[in-house]
Amino acid sequence: MDNKIYGLMAEFDSPTELVDAARKVRDAGYRKTDAFTPFPLHEIDEALGIRRSILPYLVFGGGILGCLAGLGLQFYTHVIEYPINVGGRPHFSLPAFIPPSYEMTILFAAFTAVFGMLFLNGLPSPYHPVFNVERFSLAMREKFFLLIESEDEKFDYDETKGFMKTLNAQEVFDVED
Amino acid sequence: MTGSNFQAPADLSRFRNISLGAGILAVVLLVVMAVSPENREQALRSWLLGFNFWGGIAIGCLGVTMLQYVTGGAWAIVIRRTVEAGSRTLPLVTILVIPILVFLGSLYEWHHLYGTDKIVTERGWFQTGAGFITRTIVYFVIFNVMQVMLNRWSAAQDQTSNYEDSAKFLGSATAFSGPGIVIFALTVSFAAIDWTMSLDPHWFSTIWGFLYIVGWALSCFCFAVVILAYLSDKEPMKSVLGRRHFHDIGKLMLALVMVWTYFNLSQFLIIWSGNIPEETPWYLDRMKNGWGVVGFLLILFHFAFPFIILLSRDVKRNARWLAIMAVFILVMRAIDMLYHIGPSPLVDGSKLGFQISWMDFAALIGIGGFWLWAFFTQLMKRPLVPVMDPFLDNAIEHGKGH
Repeated sequence: MDNKIYGLMAEFDSPTELVDAARKVRDAGYRKTDAFTPFPLHEIDEALGIRRSILPYLVFGGGILGCLAGLGLQFYTHVIEYPINVGGRPHFSLPAFIPPSYEMTILFAAFTAVFGMLFLNGLPSPYHPVFNVERFSLAMREKFFLLIESEDEKFDYDETKGFMKTLNAQEVFDVED
Repeated sequence: MTGSNFQAPADLSRFRNISLGAGILAVVLLVVMAVSPENREQALRSWLLGFNFWGGIAIGCLGVTMLQYVTGGAWAIVIRRTVEAGSRTLPLVTILVIPILVFLGSLYEWHHLYGTDKIVTERGWFQTGAGFITRTIVYFVIFNVMQVMLNRWSAAQDQTSNYEDSAKFLGSATAFSGPGIVIFALTVSFAAIDWTMSLDPHWFSTIWGFLYIVGWALSCFCFAVVILAYLSDKEPMKSVLGRRHFHDIGKLMLALVMVWTYFNLSQFLIIWSGNIPEETPWYLDRMKNGWGVVGFLLILFHFAFPFIILLSRDVKRNARWLAIMAVFILVMRAIDMLYHIGPSPLVDGSKLGFQISWMDFAALIGIGGFWLWAFFTQLMKRPLVPVMDPFLDNAIEHGKGH
């Protein structure tokens, strides 16, 4: 154990095995865990006890902000800064202001969604220790991986490794930091 | 999936009888009222309201039947038999249109303007009683032919014994649905222009057809959600429907609520900015007195409230909550139809101002009773899911997902 260990990773053949193992890992009290699959696996969130993202609320806030910004911009330009009489209509013409405000709502909501997602995922991340495991590239194709980080309070190298071997994994790898 | 034949639960027949009873009662009441000439026009306008609301669900069901063949997906498999049953009520809807065709002169002002009014006369044969009746017959021939073809393939699919044969019928229905949707959209456009837009003989809006395509599709999805939510409590659908099915249909409801708003705003914004006398009277009538309040309620409860509620994932995943929301939107759909019909000029060109007749309720209940009776009769005739569809197992699995 010369190198620092980022965590331990187990490899599985099928999503069912992964989900079963994830449940056991969670029941054993591990919290700093992660799973890697070739396709989205909805059950894994529940199995690992991953909490729902706050992103939808951020997007909602972003949308409201965009709507207000759009309305505010139009109010400022058309009513305060440069009022023009257009066909005798009021300076504050709400029906005409709706489409731009709507566009701004979508724009801000979409930006919040994309950049919020990147931020919450800690991206961009040029280096990540899991790629030190050679077989990990198979996570994109046909294999399923489960990771327990060494940061976890319950993590103890020998004990955790012994535990992971009981999960019917194909193999358990050390993930170097 | 063998071992279960997916027959509808028997207690649906109770609804059938209640619907038929209420339908007969309300329609008899309406017919008795329509005998006296001074009530006839209101009775017909109310009938048009009920016809547009319930007939709209049936026509929407035909459109969604084709839509779900074209898009595919798990929601398509689980909603198919419900919307098919809705489309098989179209022969009844065809009968329901007859009073409108018979009493055209007591319902549409243009009927007696031909020859005296320059604009109506310039429209030629299009704006005559013969033109209206011919076109309406053509619409229903198209709708019924589509409905019969699609339901025939679907029934034949149930009789197959292997997935290769059943995939052939699925293929036929899908190939038919692509061009079918185009023809359907054009037909509904023309029908909406004839049935409701021409109530105001001089007013026109080019987005009118889309308002009805979208509105009726929304009605259909809301109605289907109510039926599916009821069925999801008991076998056989209890083991078929899952949270994700409702989530998917809920997303479609949200999208259609937004499109309805988008089209309505487009129509309003163009007329508002144009500000020309041919177009503005329609909105002027609908922005003063009680109709202005109704219009405001539509913005609030046909758009803002359902939009905010349907944004939530938890609501869309809960069959009961989604069904409550669907009933709410259906009520607003009826009010939206009333907002189109109610403020229109009478046959003598005069305007009523704000008035909601009790006959509006009688027609909605009466036609609704008959229509629901026909719907439940049709729904109970076939298994509640396409039993031999190659994608059935996948679709059921999808719904169970987290």
